Amino acid sequence: MLGRRQLREKWFLLAPAMAVLALITLMPLANTFWLSFTDTRISALPTPTHFIGLENYIYALTDPDFQDALFRTLYFTVVSVGLEGVIGVAIAVLLNQQFKGRTLLRALIILPWAVPTIVNAVAWRLIYHPDYGALNSMLYQLGFISDYRSWIGDPMTAMHMVILADMWKNFPLVAYVALAALQTVPGDLLKAAAVEGASPWKRFWSITLPWIAGPLMVVMVLRTIEAFRVFDIVYVMTGGGPADSTKTASFYVYQEYFNYLRSGSGASYAVLVAGISAVMILGYYAAARRQSQGGAA
Amino acid sequence: MSDQHILSINNLQKLYGETHVLKDINIAMDKGEFLVLVGPSGCGKSTLLSCISGLTEISSGSIHIAGKDRTHCEPADRDIAMVFQSYALFPNMSVERNIGFGLEVRKVPEAIRKQKVAEVAELLKIGHLLHRRPAELSGGQRQRVAMGRALVRDPALFLFDEPLSNLDAKLRVTMRTEIKRIHQTTGASIVYVTHDQIEAMTLATRIVVLRDGIIQQIGTPQEIYNTPVNAFVADFMGSPSMNLMRGTAVRQDGKIRLSIPTPGGSVLELEDMRTDSSAISEEKRDILIGLRPEAMTDTLSGSRDPGQIADCILDVVEPAGADTYAVINLGGTETIARLSADANVQAGQTVPIRFDLSKVSYFDVDSGARL
Amino acid sequence: MRRSLLQSVLLYACVVLVALFTAGPLLWLVTMSISAPTDLTEVPLRWIPSEVDFSRYQTLLDLNDGSGERFLSALRNSILTAGGATLLALLLAVPAAYSFSRRNASMVLLFAFLATIMMPPITYILPLYSTFSSLGMLNKTLTLIVVYTAMLLPFATWLMKSNIDVLPIEVEQAAFMEGASTAYTIREVVLPLALPAIAATAMLSFLVAWDEFFYALIFTNDLSAKTLPVAIADFSAGRVTDYGVIATVGVMATLPPAILAICFQKFIVSGLVAGSVKG
Repeated sequence: MLGRRQLREKWFLLAPAMAVLALITLMPLANTFWLSFTDTRISALPTPTHFIGLENYIYALTDPDFQDALFRTLYFTVVSVGLEGVIGVAIAVLLNQQFKGRTLLRALIILPWAVPTIVNAVAWRLIYHPDYGALNSMLYQLGFISDYRSWIGDPMTAMHMVILADMWKNFPLVAYVALAALQTVPGDLLKAAAVEGASPWKRFWSITLPWIAGPLMVVMVLRTIEAFRVFDIVYVMTGGGPADSTKTASFYVYQEYFNYLRSGSGASYAVLVAGISAVMILGYYAAARRQSQGGAA
Repeated sequence: MSDQHILSINNLQKLYGETHVLKDINIAMDKGEFLVLVGPSGCGKSTLLSCISGLTEISSGSIHIAGKDRTHCEPADRDIAMVFQSYALFPNMSVERNIGFGLEVRKVPEAIRKQKVAEVAELLKIGHLLHRRPAELSGGQRQRVAMGRALVRDPALFLFDEPLSNLDAKLRVTMRTEIKRIHQTTGASIVYVTHDQIEAMTLATRIVVLRDGIIQQIGTPQEIYNTPVNAFVADFMGSPSMNLMRGTAVRQDGKIRLSIPTPGGSVLELEDMRTDSSAISEEKRDILIGLRPEAMTDTLSGSRDPGQIADCILDVVEPAGADTYAVINLGGTETIARLSADANVQAGQTVPIRFDLSKVSYFDVDSGARL
Repeated sequence: MRRSLLQSVLLYACVVLVALFTAGPLLWLVTMSISAPTDLTEVPLRWIPSEVDFSRYQTLLDLNDGSGERFLSALRNSILTAGGATLLALLLAVPAAYSFSRRNASMVLLFAFLATIMMPPITYILPLYSTFSSLGMLNKTLTLIVVYTAMLLPFATWLMKSNIDVLPIEVEQAAFMEGASTAYTIREVVLPLALPAIAATAMLSFLVAWDEFFYALIFTNDLSAKTLPVAIADFSAGRVTDYGVIATVGVMATLPPAILAICFQKFIVSGLVAGSVKG
C-alpha cells in the first residue's frame, strides 16, 4: 500500500532517531571494541597506544578475579530474578482473588517500582545498618537474633542482602505481567478442571501456570538482561565489598576504567560482558517472538 | 482518445507477490457517469478502487483521470476525492473542519472555505451539525459528512468504497436515494464499489462486474440484467437471482424446443419462438436455460404475454409481502417463481405456472458463456 | 466457589503480609524522615517517633542551607534532564514509530534499536566519556539530555509504534487523499488520536530518566549538573550523622515518580506490561 514518496519518507522519518542512536550507542560500541585490542590508558598526558591483538582478552579470560565477578553477577541475576518470578507470580495469584481492599493492594504494589533505584539502595542500606538498622532491631525484638549483625558488612550475607533489596524493587513488574496474564485464563477451563476433581494446587500447575508461561517467560528474560547489568545498587549499598563479595561484572569494568584507568583492558572486559548480554538479548527476542506467534496458550 | 473520458484505465495489472489480483483491466468512463464496481468479496473491486485512488501502486498499465496520465501520481494530485467504508472522519475535528480539511490543506482562505463548507452542508442537510464532533453524530450523519468532505473540493472524480455497508438496512435505503439525488443534482462522476447488487442496479448508470480480478461484463443495469454475458453474472445480479436450469435444446423449424427434466421423471417442454435459433449451433445440445423469477408466474398475474403454461409442484412457498416466491425443482436445481401475493397456494400443491420466454438466456453448460 | 473460614483467614493473612512487605520499607523511610535524630539511634529502635519533626524537609527546601542547596540544585537538574530528554526522545520517537508502523520499516531495525538499551551501559561509557571530555561537554545538563534521549528513544519508539498500529489507517489515508503531507497528517490527525499513548510514553520515559544513575555518576561532578540519584548517593556516602536527612532526601526523590505512578496507574501498568511482553 506504499507509494514512492512514502517509501522515501520511511527513511526520512527514521533518520533523526537513527542518527542519535548511532552517535550515542553504535559508535561508542565500535570504539570500545577497538580499544579492547589496545593498551590505552586514561591519563592527563597524551600517551602512545599500541595495538596488542588479543593480549587483553587472554589476560581477561584467565583472570580469576574477573571470573569471580562474572559468577557473582550470574548468581545475583539467577537468584534475584528467580525470587522475583516466584514472589511475583504468588502475589499475582493473590491479587487475582476476590477480597476486600484488592484495588488498594493492586495500587500499592506499584510503589516499590516507582522508588528510584538509588533511593531503594539507600533505604535498604539504612535498614541493614549494623547499629541502628530496622532489620536488626526487628529481628532482635522478635527474638530471632540475640545480637545485632552487620548484614552488609559480612561477606557471607552481603550479596543476599543486595539481592533482597533488588528483588523488592523489581517484583512488581513481574507481578503485573503475571496478573495481566492470569486475567486471560479462561474461567471455564478452571471450572471444568474443578468439576473433574482437580485440586487447586493441581489446577494451578496444569492449567494456570502453562497458560501464563509465555508472557512470564518474556518478562523474566527481560529482567535477566537488566539484572545482569547490575551496578547502581551495588555502588551505593556496598561499593563492591566487603572483600569483593558483591563486586559484579559491571562494577569490575567500572573500576578497571575509572579507578585503575586501564581503558584498553577495561574495554576487553566490557566486550566480554556485552557478548554475554548479546546472547541473552537474542534469547529475549526468541522468547518474545514465540510469545507473539504462539499466543497466550 | 483518453481526453473524452473522465477515467480511462488501460491494461491494468496488479500483483501481490505471485498473486494476480487484477488481470488486464480496461475501463473507459464518461463524465457524469455513475460507474459501479460490483462482485463477490475477494473479486478485486476494492483493490481496483485503491489503484484508481493511488493508495495502491499498480504493477503495470495506465490510469488517466480527466485526460491526464495519473498512473504514478500521489493520491492528492489525482483530482479525486474518496468516501471510505468506515467514513474515516477525523475524530478530533469538528464537522466543519472535517469537511473543509482538503481546502485547509490547500490553503484556501478561511472566508471562502467557510462559505463552501456551508454550501455543501446545505446540500447534504447537515448545516446544523457543523460544530459537532464525529463521535456525536449518527451513522447516517457521519456518512453525509464523509460525502461533504469529498464534494467540497469539486474534484473530477469521486470514489466511494462500500459507503453504505456500515448502515442499518433502513438507513441504507435512505442514503442510497440521497447519493442518487446528489449525483443527479451535481452531475458528478462517481466510481462506486459495492458487493450489494441491488445498490449496483439502483445507482449505476453503468455496472462493471468483477470476478477473480477479471472484468466479466460492463454495461448498463438493463444490459447486465437482461443479457448477462455468462452464468456467473446471471447468477450474481438480480435478487432473487436468475434461475439456471439444465435442459436440452432442439432446433426445429426456426424455433427452439426446450426440454427440462423434473424430479418426478417427467419432462417440461417449452418452446422459444423469438430467439434466433442459430444461437444453438447444433441440432440438439445440453444447455443452461436462464429465466428470471418474474418470467415464471402464476396464471392469475395479469401478464400481457400469454406465455406457456405448465403444471409444476411447489416445494416451498415464501410469502414476501408484495410477491410470493415459490421454489420449484426444475432442471436439477431449485428455481424460484415469482407469484402474485394473492396467489392462494401451498407447498406440495401442483399449480399451473406461466413461463415467459421473451427474455430467456442460454449458456454453455461447461464454460457458462452466453450462447 | 465459596471459601471456608480457614481459607478466608489464610487469604487475609497473605494480603496483610504482602501489604507489609510492599509498604513496610517505604513507611519506615517516611518515619525516619520525621523522627527526632535521637529516636533513630536508640537500640533497639523506637518505631513510633517520640515527636513528629518536619525540620529536615524545611532544611532541604532552604536554598541558603548547604544540604538544601545541594538538594534543590539536584532537583532542578533532574527535572531539566529528565524533562528535556523525554521531550527530545518523543520528538524523535514519534516519526520513527510512524515509519515502523505505517511505512513498513523493518522490524529487524526496531529490534536493533531495542538491543541498544539492553546492552550494559559500561559498553558505551568510556568512548562517550572521552568524547565529551575532549569536547568540554562533561558536567553539563545538555550532555545528559543527549545521552538520556538515546537511552529513552528505543522504548518510546516501540511503545508508540504499537499504539499507532491500532489506529484506523483509513483516517490517515483520507488525510492523504485530501492532500495533506505526511508531516501535516502526523501532526493534525495521528497525534491527536495517539494523545493517551503519548502521555503514557512520556510518563514512562520520564520515570526511566529520573531513575538513571550510571551515566549521571560518570558525566557530572558538581552542583551545576548532578542529578538527584547522584546527589543522594553523595548524601548517603558522606559523613552525615543524622540518618533522617538521608531518608528525607529519599522520600522527596520518590515523591514525583510515586505520585505519577499512583495517579496514572492504569496507563503506566498497561504500558509496562505491553512494553515488556509483546515481542
